[in-house]
Amino acid sequence: MSATTLVLTRVRVRTHLGLVVRVALILAALALVALPLVFGGDVWAQRVSRAAIYAVIGLSINTLTGHAGQISLGHQAFVGIGAFSSAFMASRLGAPFGFGLAGAALAGTVTALIVGMVALRVKGLYLALVTLAFGLTAETTIFNWREFTGGGAGAFAPRSALVESDLAYALLCLAVLVVVLYTDWRLVSTKAGRALTAVRNDERIASTLGVDVTGYKLGAFCFSGLVAGLAGGLFAHWNQVVQALDFEFQVALLWVLMAVVGGLRSRLGIVIASSFFALLPLVLPNFLAGLPWQPPFLNEAVYHVLPPFLVVLMLLVVLRFFPGGIGQLLAPVTRFVKGAKR
Amino acid sequence: MGAFVALGLFQGAVYGLLAVGIVMVYKAKRAFNFAQGEFGGIAAFCAYLLIVALGLPYWVGAVGGLAAAVAMGLLVERAIVRPLESSSRTILLVALVGVALFAIAVTVLLAEPVPRVLPPLVEGGGVDILGAGIQPQQLILLAVLAVLAGALAWFFRTDLGLAVLASSQDTLAARVVGISPEAVSRLVWGMAALVGGVAGLLYAPVGIFTPGFMTATMLVPAFAAAVLGGMTSVPGAFIGGISIGIVQNAGIYLLGQQWQVPGASQLSVFALLMLVLLIRPQGLLGKEA
Repeated sequence: MSATTLVLTRVRVRTHLGLVVRVALILAALALVALPLVFGGDVWAQRVSRAAIYAVIGLSINTLTGHAGQISLGHQAFVGIGAFSSAFMASRLGAPFGFGLAGAALAGTVTALIVGMVALRVKGLYLALVTLAFGLTAETTIFNWREFTGGGAGAFAPRSALVESDLAYALLCLAVLVVVLYTDWRLVSTKAGRALTAVRNDERIASTLGVDVTGYKLGAFCFSGLVAGLAGGLFAHWNQVVQALDFEFQVALLWVLMAVVGGLRSRLGIVIASSFFALLPLVLPNFLAGLPWQPPFLNEAVYHVLPPFLVVLMLLVVLRFFPGGIGQLLAPVTRFVKGAKR
Repeated sequence: MGAFVALGLFQGAVYGLLAVGIVMVYKAKRAFNFAQGEFGGIAAFCAYLLIVALGLPYWVGAVGGLAAAVAMGLLVERAIVRPLESSSRTILLVALVGVALFAIAVTVLLAEPVPRVLPPLVEGGGVDILGAGIQPQQLILLAVLAVLAGALAWFFRTDLGLAVLASSQDTLAARVVGISPEAVSRLVWGMAALVGGVAGLLYAPVGIFTPGFMTATMLVPAFAAAVLGGMTSVPGAFIGGISIGIVQNAGIYLLGQQWQVPGASQLSVFALLMLVLLIRPQGLLGKEA
């Protein structure tokens, strides 16, 4: 009798301790985001915005690559079209800020629909080829179309009064990120998410189960385009100037790698990897140049080409040794926080 | 206009040469090889190192460059492709994109990103074809493409080539009849890298070259050429490459010169790729979609 109560109390104590640890972990994670915002001033507010925008882009790629199993190698085109649409609406048409973002999301969706309708009909990963070609075309043709983008000088994208300060803008970006995270979570736990899983695993089996393979792939690509366009709108007003140079095709390739390093279908992993990739080119060169001892064969110029090199190196290591990416590494922690028994 | 067609014909030869390598890997592995351009990049940089920087004879540089390309192909096969054999095509594609970016990053880190000039195989003035000045190097390129495409089309009819196809269609059944899928994989990647190396080595002297020159401007037209040719057909890649080159240069002439559309060359390749997938996704000579 007494033994049972002992056990029960031990269990109760352990659950309490576990709960405390879990809450502490979540609070620590939130504090990690809040600290730079509170103490970092405008510089860090801008960096947090950039990290949040990259995370939104990472989640956009996650929808397509993680859920639908297709690849876009020209995602910078969708982000860029969103950015230029939002800038065009804000500076030329004088539309309110919210309309600009909505226009950006719409532009991304429509573009994805047009490209996807052709490329996703064909079995196989042809979308990767078509989007790569589309990305190059967008970079040289659409983004250099003077009436729409202002040519080489770029388009201005003023912020509205409400999100004028960098801190307010960072909060807006984080809010959008939360909405996208929520949508991704809902997507996975509904019929559409299960259908996409079936399509990803085997298109033929999925179609025998009555899943409209092309339709779901197209739907996922359109949603991915929507989120990418939205991220583009945020990016335009983050920088307040949009230029064709911001959307070179290498960027899209690095974004795909970013999502894979984070771990496809792992929201937390993708957010972490995206933030890391967003901040690496800003932080690493300054950090290395500020070191007291400079390695002989390295110099400022090398530091600036180092980030993409590191990113690719991380990809190859991830694919070779833990294909689930950062999400896989964090799986024990997330499982503990969720309280799942395993 | 005639000059643009002539330029397109010879530009298309490079696309065709890259497309042949892409088709080889696709036939054997059902994978889009996004690293194909960088086999040429590595070959060009190694040849430059040996010929210009170290002053060795031309043939040493050429052999060294090709050897480097083949070594890279075998390394990619061993370190990336084989461990990912059981994972999805999506992941393999991302990995091959990673390989291309890795190769570019390494060349940028080791050799500064400045334009370089590799001396051509044959010195001498250009030939006038339809009003376009064609370098002897470009004539050689077209000839080499024709020979290589013929040789590889024949290769897939030999026992060895059939073994490659068998191992692609059913790995287990191929193993049962005594084909080693590992050896086939090595062979295919080595050959694809060799073809890519030849493309890079022959194309680099046509203009100036920088790190990533094959991937940045050549890879997409080469893929378009492979798709147009049917993705599984070596002669198709040859025809597709030439067609893409001509369409691209016609596009530069019509859209770029007449209508002042920016980026006409990329736009015409993209438009052609979309048209092919829309109208005839199995390509000109492909057997299946």
